[in-house]
Amino acid sequence: MSSLDTAVRIDKRSEPTKPKAGRRTWRLTGDSLFHAAARFAAFLAVAVLFATVVAITFDSWPSIKTFGVWGFLKSSQWDPVTNAFGAFPFIIGTLVSSAIAMVLAVPISFGTALFVAEIAPSWIKRPIAGAVELLAAIPSIVYGLWGLIVFAPAFAQVEPWISDTFGAIPGVGLLFQGPPMGIGMLSAGIILAIMILPYISSVMRDVFMAVPWSLRESAYAMGCTTWEVAWHIMLPYTRTAVIGGVFLGLGRALGETMAVTFVIGNSNVLSASLLMPGATIPSVLANEFTEATSKLYLSSLIYLGLILIGVTLAVRLLAVLLLRRLASREGAST
Amino acid sequence: MLNVSLPPKPSNLDAGQSAQPSPAKLAVRNLNFYYGKFHAIKNINVSIRPNTVTAFIGPSGCGKSTLLRVFNRIYDMYPGQRAEGEVLLDGENILDPRSFPKLRAKVGMVFQKPTPFPMSIYENIAFGIRLYEKLSRSEMDDRVRHALIGSGLWHEVEGKLNQSALRLSGGQQQRLCIARALAIKPEILLLDEPCSALDPISTAKIEELMYRSKEDCTLIIVTHNMQQAARASEFTAFMLNGELIEVSETTQIFTKPSDKRTEDYITGRFG
Repeated sequence: MSSLDTAVRIDKRSEPTKPKAGRRTWRLTGDSLFHAAARFAAFLAVAVLFATVVAITFDSWPSIKTFGVWGFLKSSQWDPVTNAFGAFPFIIGTLVSSAIAMVLAVPISFGTALFVAEIAPSWIKRPIAGAVELLAAIPSIVYGLWGLIVFAPAFAQVEPWISDTFGAIPGVGLLFQGPPMGIGMLSAGIILAIMILPYISSVMRDVFMAVPWSLRESAYAMGCTTWEVAWHIMLPYTRTAVIGGVFLGLGRALGETMAVTFVIGNSNVLSASLLMPGATIPSVLANEFTEATSKLYLSSLIYLGLILIGVTLAVRLLAVLLLRRLASREGAST
Repeated sequence: MLNVSLPPKPSNLDAGQSAQPSPAKLAVRNLNFYYGKFHAIKNINVSIRPNTVTAFIGPSGCGKSTLLRVFNRIYDMYPGQRAEGEVLLDGENILDPRSFPKLRAKVGMVFQKPTPFPMSIYENIAFGIRLYEKLSRSEMDDRVRHALIGSGLWHEVEGKLNQSALRLSGGQQQRLCIARALAIKPEILLLDEPCSALDPISTAKIEELMYRSKEDCTLIIVTHNMQQAARASEFTAFMLNGELIEVSETTQIFTKPSDKRTEDYITGRFG
């Protein structure tokens, strides 16, 4: 209604141009309709997010009441038989598998993007960029199957070498102990890295290619090598977008379910070793949702989902804060 | 074509020297340049004298910027672009693929649009120096300060060396780019329409900077602005359609050009 009022008001204001008034009114009505539709769409998205959080909180209420917030977060017990539930191993599993994925995927994405944007001869750019992007088109269930059937057995052959080489290092060695099974936290991280690589690298590639030619030329004209141009000029120049791309990938890694469930081993017991099985919040949800018989069990799983939303939002917040800090340190206006 | 050896100029530069022309800092011999199949520079011969400012003028697309880009081989970045002939820097051919690993330290370049690097003002200068020299912190501070004083920027940026160079005005950015290029102590500085995006005051400051810089290096400027060529250069070369039509002392080009086409251009009949 109010949008119609606006249209009428504007129509009155434009009275001097009377001959065209009819068409003009129609246009303005159409425009205000469009405004209303856009506003509705925007509010709908917010409403859906809000409603989801409310519904999930409501469904996890029995668990929240029983275990509290802090108690649930720090408890490592997950025992459906005794009805004792705690989120700690899954939160750690989610963060660690995503961290492994980032450590592997970010440098490789940088290299890929740099190669396509700066080094590759033009005839090979498109095929490589296309192939990397195709990685994003593979359904995650296929990654999971491939990870379990192809990757894990092969990786099991490598694991003894990993534990022999890195396992002996004091301190860090703890991360690389255990029998070579091929599945576990490290495998999940590697599969995740492959899955998020196209997202990060395509963002990086696009922004690298958008670096003005004059800026690159002036760096090359000083005698910079390709690496120096990439590291000292292109990366700082595109920093904001690159960080955005990295967090886009991180967001996907945190929420990835199917592929991780296949290769992580699904153990509810937290282990220090990356070669040992673990679980993430999405993987435990996928595994146990159908088995959740008791009300407390089910609500604890939903509670985990709520925590995952929290973790994702926290990561996003971190990205925003990081960008804001960089911007203020840089002191760059706009 | 025109292999110009100029009569000695009774300027303070040549003062004290005998009547023979000083040897060329940069000598271009039978230079041809191609963008793929397009023949952009046609058999050019020209000699550039040390410690002078030489201006290349001509209508858009005449090849003057292309010629400049040959002098530090920046065209190397692009496949399909190639140069034939010789460009002798102190007698050594820079087009020889094996020559000059440090060519770009000897031949600096400033572009049409200011291109400050995305880092602080201090780092913009230090970055280039660091590519070639390993200096202690205090030596580096000295070099940066000197470069900024030399470019006349020092008073404007003294207190904010750690601020992003992107926050400077366009004219300041361009002077920073020149300071950055000069900080490496190049023998030749190429300027590709360095003032076309700037206001008259910034332009005047840059022309003054060019004038001061020729003590230490040889400047070659490409410009659309004939007044600028007349003001800032000692020698002027006129190019048209990839050919070098005429090169001589600036005063002569602008008062009595020997070629009809040059005259038409500088009197504004075309271009």
